[in-house]
Amino acid sequence: MSAKPWRDVIAVDDLERNWVTRVQLGDRLIAIYDTPSGIHASLALCNHGGADLCDGYFDGHVIECPLHQGAFDVRDGRPVAAPATRPMRIFETRVQDGMVQLRI
Amino acid sequence: MPLTQALAEGKLTREELKTFMQRSDGPALRRLALWIMVLAGTTTLITLAWDSWLIWPAMFLHGIVLVHHFSIQHECVHYTVFRTRWLNDLVGQICGIIIMLPHRFFRYEHCDHHTYTQLTGKDPEQVPMPRSYGEYLLYLSALPYWKAKFTEVARHAAGRLSETERRFIPREEYATVIRDARVMLAIYALIFAAMALSGWWGLIWYWIIPVFLGEPVMRFIRMTEHVGRPSVAQMSENTRTNLVSAPWRFLCWNMNYHAEHHYVASVPFHALPRLHEKLRDHIHVEPRGYLGAHLDILRQIREART
Repeated sequence: MSAKPWRDVIAVDDLERNWVTRVQLGDRLIAIYDTPSGIHASLALCNHGGADLCDGYFDGHVIECPLHQGAFDVRDGRPVAAPATRPMRIFETRVQDGMVQLRI
Repeated sequence: MPLTQALAEGKLTREELKTFMQRSDGPALRRLALWIMVLAGTTTLITLAWDSWLIWPAMFLHGIVLVHHFSIQHECVHYTVFRTRWLNDLVGQICGIIIMLPHRFFRYEHCDHHTYTQLTGKDPEQVPMPRSYGEYLLYLSALPYWKAKFTEVARHAAGRLSETERRFIPREEYATVIRDARVMLAIYALIFAAMALSGWWGLIWYWIIPVFLGEPVMRFIRMTEHVGRPSVAQMSENTRTNLVSAPWRFLCWNMNYHAEHHYVASVPFHALPRLHEKLRDHIHVEPRGYLGAHLDILRQIREART
């Protein structure tokens, strides 16, 4: 089976520096994170209460849900603070010709 | 969600939100240093009043400070006291031991309070609107509160969680909540054993009695946050912000700006006064402070009875 194709989602210059940026891709909301170790991406809605992580507090590699302050490590999606207990869905990310691309 | 709503309605821009949410350890460490000095002061008052009746007002004053460890713990629940995440867990646990409120259980219960704020039958922290002056005074006595807390901790230590608790505590954390209650009771047992062995019962006078004397003040304050506001999901209606003087703001870690806190729970205590300036026209504000809120509650009790 072939890998999912890379898709352009946003220009690197349009990302909020050291923060999280919301991108609409079809019917999906994606959160793009600008971190000290590069760009990462996940589904934008928290898998606990459904709040939009893009309105949450972001620090380093940790995104915190604005509703309950559950938190995830954006590098691997692992939950780092309850009530988030399940890993969030993350996407493979790269930068090509100034564009952030996701395998999605 | 109220925050998303506030952003969509233009009450707050994304840039402003980002600025308000910024965290650092400095403001909380400075405030905690002052906090410890205040505690040292009220502790000294008890020592100075040891052999006279003045020990009772001194213990009451000390108790008012002690019960406000709830306010620090509440901020720690939201991870907004310190930027360093584990410091919030550590300080929250210590505050919880001081006032007998296991930290992680409170965190999960409080999450549900933010989901279902003031919705009768759903909000696990809802303080019901008293139907009579008698009910009002009974709540302020803190007797129902302590009865509920002692029962709750004992039940958890015995390994039992209620149906409601099983809903708001993540399944993976059931065992943690039970262990926390047991550890808390074990710490109390150790403290009492140490007092018995040493023959020094000072903590009864410096800690236990003051907490019980002070708790009605915390009940008085907790009532002002939502009691008497309508049971609706609209955040601008269901929560009351109380404008109070600087000493009270210090003690409650700015949680008098309660509607602002419910709008954006990720904003740290030190940014709430600035957030208030931004949202003041979109929320319910009680300019007369805690007393004003109680006058409002008492008026509603009176009107409901006539």
